[in-house]
Amino acid sequence: AFPRARILPTLPNRGGYGGPSASLGLTVCSRCSIKFKEEISRRFKAQQDQLVLIFAGKILKDGDTLNQHGIKDGLTVHLVIKTPQKAPDPAATTASSPSTPDPASAPSTTPASPAAPAQPSTSGSATSDAGSGSRRSSGGGPSPGAGEGPPSATASILSGFGGLLGLGSLGLGSANFMELQQQMQRQLMSNPEMLSQIMENPLVQDMMSNPDLMRHMIMANPQMQQLMERNPEISHMLNNPELMRQTMELARNPAMMQEMMRNQDRALSNLESIPGGYNALRRMYTDIQEPMFSAAREQFGNNPFSSLAGNSDSSSSQPLRTENREPLPNPWSPSPPTSQAPGSGGEGTGGSGTSQVHPTVSNPFGINAASLGSGVFNSPEMQALLQQISENPQLMQNVISAPYMRSMMQTLAQNPDFAAQVRGAGAGSVTPEAHPSLPAGWVRRCWRRPTGHLLCAARPLQVQTTPEVRFQQQLEQLNSMGFINREANLQALIATGGDVNAAIERLLGSQLS
Amino acid sequence: IPYPVKLYVYDLSKGLARRLSPIMLGKQLEGIWHTSIVVHKDEFFFGSGGISSCPPGGTLLGPPDSVVDVGSTEVTEELFLEYLSSLGESLFRSEAYNLFEHNCNTFTNEVAQFLTGRKIPSYITDLPSEILSTPFGQALRPLLDSIQIQPPGGSPVGRPNGQS
Repeated sequence: AFPRARILPTLPNRGGYGGPSASLGLTVCSRCSIKFKEEISRRFKAQQDQLVLIFAGKILKDGDTLNQHGIKDGLTVHLVIKTPQKAPDPAATTASSPSTPDPASAPSTTPASPAAPAQPSTSGSATSDAGSGSRRSSGGGPSPGAGEGPPSATASILSGFGGLLGLGSLGLGSANFMELQQQMQRQLMSNPEMLSQIMENPLVQDMMSNPDLMRHMIMANPQMQQLMERNPEISHMLNNPELMRQTMELARNPAMMQEMMRNQDRALSNLESIPGGYNALRRMYTDIQEPMFSAAREQFGNNPFSSLAGNSDSSSSQPLRTENREPLPNPWSPSPPTSQAPGSGGEGTGGSGTSQVHPTVSNPFGINAASLGSGVFNSPEMQALLQQISENPQLMQNVISAPYMRSMMQTLAQNPDFAAQVRGAGAGSVTPEAHPSLPAGWVRRCWRRPTGHLLCAARPLQVQTTPEVRFQQQLEQLNSMGFINREANLQALIATGGDVNAAIERLLGSQLS
Repeated sequence: IPYPVKLYVYDLSKGLARRLSPIMLGKQLEGIWHTSIVVHKDEFFFGSGGISSCPPGGTLLGPPDSVVDVGSTEVTEELFLEYLSSLGESLFRSEAYNLFEHNCNTFTNEVAQFLTGRKIPSYITDLPSEILSTPFGQALRPLLDSIQIQPPGGSPVGRPNGQS
């Protein structure tokens, strides 16, 4: 008696002809693959010479035995039924229509070939794979899987983390990103509600209520860094957490912002009426504001403050007021700015390497994805935020429901390089290089970006001394100007972090009120 | 003469998953894997546009992050294309794409077994369940389910007689 081997090639139901899955239990002689083929030929109703049996990458020839190939019970043998070389069956052509986007051809309900039941083997073009199971016949129809089908919603799995990026979109220079930005801009233009939606998004609010995080993000923006280099006041302002918090509050609440502006206008006009007050204002403008304006203008193209200059005489750069957005460019230009402009917005549409500087609506927070990879994600605040997100699924829901998420993710998916850019813009080493001199007590940090650009930020060095010692020089200055109340001077200096001009404002303001 | 069969493995996140997964998912994932089979000097993969092929490394993803040797096969090119066409019209039509259940790696696994009898490494096929077993994955599931991935740069695989 021959040893027998029972082969069970499994044929899961793929909608092929014959209906329910045919588990082909063959008890065949273990030596004779030719008999195997006979059996299969009968079951699949195909010619023997059309059958190709494949096991473990080897093609079973007629003379081979099953044993020889190590085919045992329960193992899968793959079957391919070759297409004989003849003209494609017209019926079978329509059969493949389900897999093409051609609306003209009659769609078939079975996913496989509808021509199959009628003419299994005479259609002549049946290909099946016993292992993976599809059995159907189709003619030389159009290729499956329409390549030109609209890839509408493509995105990557990083949707969660993408939500963070979605906060303001990302000024990378890749082509897809430009589209995204334009898209967002259009959306925001046509839908002013969108900004308030964005602001109301709890995730955004969470982020903005964390001043450290915001400062980190802002500082990570290379344009901001350049701005800060020229005008140390800005970075000083950013370093004042009290200030940041107020700014965040302000940004969240446009009404409050308008209120502040009005207050400031009033205060300033009052200032004008003091003897010498006009000069102080003037000095303030020329010394501080003008360079800042021109720096910002350079950075950002148009005159970002045109409207602001129209509104108030000197949209002041005093850090103690919370009008922080003044030194920062108007994110809504070229269109007329609205009071909705978020207070902490820098903007950059270009990546670190590009020189595109038009401020766009789509990047209100100036979050440059290129810097995000290094600056933001490394920060402990960000880690904490991410932690928070992962623990709170509701937060994630909010992120997802943001209106711009889809388009953002589409772009993400289309261009995986974006992800690389986000990650890849890591900070280089700190290199002390020759730079314009800094005021005493300031330090400078430099990064060399992958694109070769050198970005620097200057900030005051925090020294562990008492305020009196720290502000000694400023105190003397104030004294010599006629502010004799040392206590008040000190308080003012502390509040403004050592900024003499701001301290003056503060002192004068308190006198006026 | 057996033909070599290789598995090209791409990390769709370009390293971001490795960095962020501990925070976001609570477990370490080394990457978001997209795979394709390279045999007969062509790369074959499955996406939302169906089965596609291109020269090896010819998609927008660029060169693979790693290459796994699957084995070798006796299946000829002609036979293989027939097989792929049949798959593309039955099991791996473009509409069948689902990010979790029936994705590029499902296809690669299937094809690898056909060609060589071996499966692709389990860290790739286990990825969907890894993600879905986290609260993050569960929360995002409705969104992720609708996601379709189709690396640009391939052309659809058709029947050998006359079609692409």
